[in-house]
Amino acid sequence: MIEVTFILNGRLVKIQTEPNITLLDLLREELRITSVKRGCETGECGACTVLLDDKPVNSCLILAPMIDGRRILTVEGLTKDRELHPLQESFIEEFALQCGYCTPGMLLTSKALLDLNPSPTIEEIKEALSGNLCRCGAYQQIINAILRASEKLRRRLNYKP
Amino acid sequence: MNFHVIGRKTIRKDALARVTGAEKYASDIYLPNMLHARVLKSPYPHAIVKKIDTRRAEEIGAIVITFKDVPGRLFCPRLVSTPDATYKDWKVLTDKPAYVGEPIAAVAAETEELAQKALELIEVEYQVLEAVFDPLESMKEGAPKIHEKILLNDRVINVENNIACKLELEEGDLEEAFNKSDIIIEREFRTNKGYHNQLEPKVAVVNPEPDGGITIWCTTQTIHNTRLLVSEIFNIPVSKINVKKLALGGGFGSSIQTNIVVPIAVALALKARRPVRLAYTKEEDMHEHSSFQMIFRFKVGVTRDGRLTGGYMENIMDIGAHQIQAYPLLGTCAGWWVSLYKLKAIKYIGVAVYTNKIPSCAYRGYGNPQVTWAVETIMDELAEMLGMDPIEFRLKNYVGEGDLFWGQGPTVKSVIRSCGVEEILRKGSELIGWKNRPKPGEQKGRYRRGIGIARGYHTSSAGSPIPSQVIDYSGAILKVNEDGTVDYITALIDQGGGTLDAHAKIIAEELGLPLKNVNIVSADSQTTIYDVCTHASRGVYAGGGAALNVARQVKKKILELASNVLNAYPHTLKIRPDEERGQAVIYVEGVPGKEITLGELATLARIKNWGTIAAVESFRPPACPPHFTGYFVEVVVDTETGIVKPLRVVIGADIGTVINPELAEGQLHGGFMMGWSRAILEDLRYSKDTGDIECKGFIIDYKMPTSKDIPEEITTFFVETYEPTGPFGAKGLGEGAQNPAIAAIANAIYNATGIRFYELPITPEKILEKIREKEKREPMKVVAEKLIDE
Repeated sequence: MIEVTFILNGRLVKIQTEPNITLLDLLREELRITSVKRGCETGECGACTVLLDDKPVNSCLILAPMIDGRRILTVEGLTKDRELHPLQESFIEEFALQCGYCTPGMLLTSKALLDLNPSPTIEEIKEALSGNLCRCGAYQQIINAILRASEKLRRRLNYKP
Repeated sequence: MNFHVIGRKTIRKDALARVTGAEKYASDIYLPNMLHARVLKSPYPHAIVKKIDTRRAEEIGAIVITFKDVPGRLFCPRLVSTPDATYKDWKVLTDKPAYVGEPIAAVAAETEELAQKALELIEVEYQVLEAVFDPLESMKEGAPKIHEKILLNDRVINVENNIACKLELEEGDLEEAFNKSDIIIEREFRTNKGYHNQLEPKVAVVNPEPDGGITIWCTTQTIHNTRLLVSEIFNIPVSKINVKKLALGGGFGSSIQTNIVVPIAVALALKARRPVRLAYTKEEDMHEHSSFQMIFRFKVGVTRDGRLTGGYMENIMDIGAHQIQAYPLLGTCAGWWVSLYKLKAIKYIGVAVYTNKIPSCAYRGYGNPQVTWAVETIMDELAEMLGMDPIEFRLKNYVGEGDLFWGQGPTVKSVIRSCGVEEILRKGSELIGWKNRPKPGEQKGRYRRGIGIARGYHTSSAGSPIPSQVIDYSGAILKVNEDGTVDYITALIDQGGGTLDAHAKIIAEELGLPLKNVNIVSADSQTTIYDVCTHASRGVYAGGGAALNVARQVKKKILELASNVLNAYPHTLKIRPDEERGQAVIYVEGVPGKEITLGELATLARIKNWGTIAAVESFRPPACPPHFTGYFVEVVVDTETGIVKPLRVVIGADIGTVINPELAEGQLHGGFMMGWSRAILEDLRYSKDTGDIECKGFIIDYKMPTSKDIPEEITTFFVETYEPTGPFGAKGLGEGAQNPAIAAIANAIYNATGIRFYELPITPEKILEKIREKEKREPMKVVAEKLIDE
């Protein structure tokens, strides 16, 4: 057993765990963060995407000790005081989800993209999303949602009271 | 028609839970004190378990079950057909595995890791048998026998030549029809073995209850059939089994049958007397289900003036090692064919053949995409031979309004009452620029563009006016709450398309309710009445029919009670949604003040002891009306790499009244992406050396489209018709949304290259090979190989 200390959605977490456990298992099996979806567990589908120090990673490919002293964001951390993130609003408004299983991963990958690149082109969005599979085939709607969220965020930044 | 919610843009009721990560799927269920399970699977495609020693696994504290610990009676995991049409050849665990991945034994332990350790301690001695992977080989004399005896309902059947079941049909005089034909075309088509690749792998969590009952949380498209099957296998009274309804991380047909994780987890939980969770990995999931792989042989006649005469179809279906109701599929494949175009005479021979491969099941379209690919290729070829425009040729021959239709097989017949085929084809061809399409095979250059069309349909449900071999009905319960909302309780599962949103809109429309006042509440098999399954594009049509009828009953009760309160005749009362008050208001038209909100009425009903306003409806759809689609696809083929890309896609659909335009559009987008995948990418190829699929279950070697594979432009449109048997005129969509995709893509590739492909998937390798053959090109020099040699 080792101790891992990290920040999960803005809160400090200290946990005793096995060193060979993946971040996916740590979040789901130990901490019951079930928004992090178990998909292929080989880094192909993106369902288990989380943000590690603001970068999207497949949590099935990260071992628990690797997150010691670092920051993890899951969709639970996107909502602040019950207020949805513009991306979450836009996914709803653009009907950018069907079965919803890829949605948490899609949202986090999108957030990482918009954090770095507030006004991405469609090509840049497609590139950013290419590690997150959606079998329902909602890619077009997801792209539309990211464009809408980007617009919302820009308006928010320009807002002067 | 003037609707207040139907056809309007409204947000999905489940969207909030899905964007916040709060939605619960079967894989998100963890129970206190539960054990974790793992399954031991055959590494051989065909073998006999001579000896199995579980002592060492049990020594480390694991609960172990083998074929000796589970009921031995054969069953069928899919319960959609009537018993007399259901073949049974499954066991929970077997001592004679017939494909790589067939479950032999299972263990449960305190952790998944410990369960895996225990699994590795089980010693098995196999006698390896010869295996067969090709259906034509499998039918030959002397081929390895995969099953000796199976059951048809309760009758023992001897399996001959590995033929699982067959169906022959004949109508009219085919010889005469061919004699009257000016052109007769004969073609053979081979389809691929596809994997659903729904993102959520199969999961079952089982809790044994103190009274001998069990509670199940699992990935399923049908909670009621799951409980019926568990009852059948384990001989537990059906009322003691409760299956919970949850969100499903994609289905596409892969959970119409009760997945094998369910009975395995049940057997372990019963033995352990503790809750058990069994979660398959992606690799295991890919070894659990796939599409049917088919070989079609067609012979179709046509007269010089472009009238189809008659046709012959042979369908050899490779079903893998077990039947998941292959028999009804033999019927639907014939149905998909004869309900596309009018034929005066037909002959059909369908044979389902066992091979030592992953069992096949329904995969979005239930054989329809494959049949439509073949038929729409032939239609394109015939039009060219006749010198007719392919669209005009189709319009001259299609099965439409007033025609008899039997998409769901020869026992499910009804008359088409709504049909927008002509408008779909006319409008779509205009939008894609059909008149300006290139002449096939005339382009030179590296990049060649082509436009292809195909049309198709799918049934909405499997209903019919008289009983058939398919069980199809839905159930709904509706109750009015004192706050003026209604609780809608249904067993019907939403696979992701937003089916239940459509139901909510149907109820809101009928009751004059603001949409937010319809609550879709949690449900399980104990608190709902029977719904067969979410398949056959039946959710909106059949489930929606139940929702409408239950709302009508509730409306009648509302009006009766309100007539007492308002002192007016019930039939003179009206209901309107009052968005300001957030309530439905029952009122007498033209008499001010004579009104009451639904919340007030429900409250009054309680205080006055009139009872709860509620109703139950079990609804059998009287037909399975086809929803029609037309695909218009422009592709570009790179003749140096063989890579095809979608440029522009236009999809038109007639789904009757459109209840949720944005969600319906999403189905069409998703339909194209999945069709693209099946046309170009997907195939579970078998390795003869290992007897296993070449990709071994890893999706890195089983590609599906990503965000980078979407077309540059996708346009969708709806041709609104009114289906008289549908709720507010609506029909289904989920499968028709995809069915013609493969055909349209293949026709576009032909238009670009002048080459027809008769085997799926149409991979870059196959395209390149044909182009080289046709144009006598030298293969490109492989530089890397040379470097290695040096």
